[in-house]
Amino acid sequence: MMAAPLRRRARARLDRWLRGRTPSALPVRFDRHGIYVLPTRFGAFFAVLLTTMGLGALNYNNNPALLLCLVLAGAAVASLLHAQLQLAGLEVRAIGAEPVPAGSTLKLRVHVRAAPGRARRGLRVECAGQAATLSLAEGGGEAVLALPTARRGWFDPGRIRISTTRPLGLARAWAYVWPEAPLLVYPAPEPDGPPLPLGQGEGLQSRLHPAGDDVHHLREWRAGDSRRAVAWKASARRNALLVREFEQPLGTDVVLDWDMLAGQGRESRIRRLARWIDEAERGMRRYRLRLPGQPAIGPGSGQAHRHACLRALALLPGEADAAR
Amino acid sequence: MLTPAGRAWALAAAAACLLPLLPQLPRTLAAGTVAVALATALLSRRGPLPGWLRIVLALALVGTVLVTFRFGVGRDLACAVLAAMLALKPGELAGVRDARSLVGFALFAPFATFLLDQGPLSLLLGLGGACLALAALLQLSADESGDPQPATVPGRLRAVLRLVAIGLPLALAAFWLFPRIQSPLWGVPDRVLAQPGLSDEMAPGQWIDFMSDDRPALRVNFIGEVPDTSQMYWRGPVLMDYDGRTWRRPRWLGRIPAPEVARAPVRWEYRMEVEPTDRRTLVALELPGAIPEGAQAGGDYVLRTAPLTRVTRWHMQASPPRTFEPRLPALVRQAALRLPEGYNPRTLALARQWRAEAGPGNDEAIVRRALAMIRDGFGYTLDTPLPGRHAADEFLFDWKRGFCEHFSSAFVILMRAAGIPARIVTGYVGGYRNPIGDYWVVRRNDAHAWAEVWLAGRGWVRVDPTAAVAPEHIYDTIDDRASGGGLAGLPGITPVLDFGDWLRRGWNDLVLGFDAARQVAILLPIGLERTGVRGLAALFAGAAGLALAWMLWLAARAERSGDPVVRAWRRLGRRYARLGLARAPHEPALQWVERVAAARPGDAGALRALGRRFAQWRYAPAAAEDPRRLARDLRRHRPA
Repeated sequence: MMAAPLRRRARARLDRWLRGRTPSALPVRFDRHGIYVLPTRFGAFFAVLLTTMGLGALNYNNNPALLLCLVLAGAAVASLLHAQLQLAGLEVRAIGAEPVPAGSTLKLRVHVRAAPGRARRGLRVECAGQAATLSLAEGGGEAVLALPTARRGWFDPGRIRISTTRPLGLARAWAYVWPEAPLLVYPAPEPDGPPLPLGQGEGLQSRLHPAGDDVHHLREWRAGDSRRAVAWKASARRNALLVREFEQPLGTDVVLDWDMLAGQGRESRIRRLARWIDEAERGMRRYRLRLPGQPAIGPGSGQAHRHACLRALALLPGEADAAR
Repeated sequence: MLTPAGRAWALAAAAACLLPLLPQLPRTLAAGTVAVALATALLSRRGPLPGWLRIVLALALVGTVLVTFRFGVGRDLACAVLAAMLALKPGELAGVRDARSLVGFALFAPFATFLLDQGPLSLLLGLGGACLALAALLQLSADESGDPQPATVPGRLRAVLRLVAIGLPLALAAFWLFPRIQSPLWGVPDRVLAQPGLSDEMAPGQWIDFMSDDRPALRVNFIGEVPDTSQMYWRGPVLMDYDGRTWRRPRWLGRIPAPEVARAPVRWEYRMEVEPTDRRTLVALELPGAIPEGAQAGGDYVLRTAPLTRVTRWHMQASPPRTFEPRLPALVRQAALRLPEGYNPRTLALARQWRAEAGPGNDEAIVRRALAMIRDGFGYTLDTPLPGRHAADEFLFDWKRGFCEHFSSAFVILMRAAGIPARIVTGYVGGYRNPIGDYWVVRRNDAHAWAEVWLAGRGWVRVDPTAAVAPEHIYDTIDDRASGGGLAGLPGITPVLDFGDWLRRGWNDLVLGFDAARQVAILLPIGLERTGVRGLAALFAGAAGLALAWMLWLAARAERSGDPVVRAWRRLGRRYARLGLARAPHEPALQWVERVAAARPGDAGALRALGRRFAQWRYAPAAAEDPRRLARDLRRHRPA
């Protein structure tokens, strides 16, 4: 009976110890156990200065000098506490980023909350060599870190360090958070490549286009319509201005097939497909993505479809993994 | 990286730290330092000064300092060099790091000030400088963090005071309880330039300066009987060597053993608090009884100690001598009779004439005759011309006016010429009883010079020729001069000054005079006398622990809202939070009230009413009720 709470407590302690050493689920709240405080270089200098003063004052039994030294030392100790309290009670609520193609910078957003009341300003958020400033207002704040990306796939930013040297710059207090939620990096699209493969149609698709060849239908005139588009005869018949609408046959749904690109390297296939997805999206076409070992995605178009396709591309196993 | 605000704060902190040190430096040097500091700060506005200019300025300033101190080595020289360096440091201000090193370096200036002076003004200015230095560090740290929010000057100072206040219990615990060093590990370096005060020599005109200095020299508490004020002679340096111009204390006098003394039955016991003088002579009433620890009596029975660089306290006994060195050693006799050749011929002739008229052996008659001459024809004034070659002649036969310096000097020359061993004693006479606190204050302008003559059978006998001046012949005194200006002349100011001195004495007692011995003494009442340093360390650890706990509590307490209504409302929220009905951060007050009301119908009525009143106060303050009543009602509400 007694074992359960004990085990739970041990478990909690282990979790705390592991935070910063292993990824953990958000939100993460910093309490005093997870916050480290060490003097900065200036802090070490200040300590030497105060020690010198204190020794001199004690030796000469010079009480004003000793008082000066002790008041400074007291304020310095208080500043250590303040530095720690800047982080204590801070809660990292969310860490996320919009996926970007590999090679461009990922905007990592760290969202933090804390009980209002204590001023927490100028906190430094560091991750993978990049840094940003975080200031809480009204109990919340967000820092945006620009992280460079290199490879498609899951991106683990690693530990994020939140630190501060305020109020006096004598000591740095810091805490780590290692978010479990991974970030995605899409494959970088091929810069120049062949145009979209058209014509292996699967069902006709057409789209209204003012410069089309075939008249699709007539509709009522709306302000802004070109005068040339007015169907004068029909208008005279109906006693209302009618406008011709044209349509452009768009051929077929585009099929982006992995197997179509046989003979190329794996990564270059992925990059070409990524480019075609973007082109199809720009041309407002419906497209279907066929990748090996998984059901085809689509046909479809729009942001959700694009993200699904790019995500599937991003997560394709790499060369080495595929060989196994 | 270094913002203009950060730069301004760092410079202000350096200036504030330099300020207390300036009055301790020679005046010209202080002015020069200020000028250089201002010039450096102005010139380096756009960027650090070029290296060669900094080196030239540094060499010039340090050279000036060395010349001012005549290349002597002492702690005032070290302080002056520190001030010079601090004045030049703004010239290399480029980044946050430089600014921080400037501030850290500047903190040595108040420290150095306290090595020279420990008065309340120095302490006040020094602590002010330290607070500004902390404020500058705050600003620099904010700059470094890249927080764009600017802070106001009062805001920064408030933050600093908060830090200091939080750290204060720890600081005070360490101050009172941290084990002190019993005897210094290394000595205090002396000053190069002497402060005005009683010294081992007396030259004409030199005394005028410090006779107008009304700072206290001693504070004395008599235990039991109090001597008559006119008989309070505080003996200081005994001067025997005369070169026609200056009287000096012979060095050997301190090294020969204390002479034989028979004391009168009267005995006074007193506690004496000596303001720092940087000298080694400890003045004492009459002849000291038991020699206090840390002092030695020399051949003149004057106490010598380690330099009195800080406030020291002494427990002393005194009694007038019945006989004082009745057998005069040949060495002392020679020194007490020696006169330089070719000075004061008229005085010597007068003395020889008196000796011839009195006959050998009748020394006392000659002394009486000299005093009678002074009583009949001499006047007291501070307004004296500079003496020529024959100072005693001019005084005795021409001006017939002067002050203690002239009287004692001429009297001793007269006595020596008549074959009576005589010497000058300097010290203080009298004192002022402060009715607040019932103690005596001896000021620096109570300094006095009198004479001792050696008479067969009695030894050294004190003779004060200045006191022989007839009262109607006293013209221009220190009191006349003091009432011309200053505070002392104002009616009704005396109690204020008395109170001020009493405060100063308490400060000396509690803070400046606190040392290892007093520290052990505070353990006595709590029964720790046996444990000594270990008990003190344990006590310190305990107090420091308590202070740290207090700091933690104070710092961890989230900064409270300044408004009592908001505070009361939050406290009410916490009461429900304990029942699991905490208000979510995004939840409006009234919505939360409704949620609680649904969960706890018993509280619904009262809480709804309070919630409505709070919302009214918050959002329609014009129509709202008295906030004090609302806060009170909010505080009183408890979940049923």
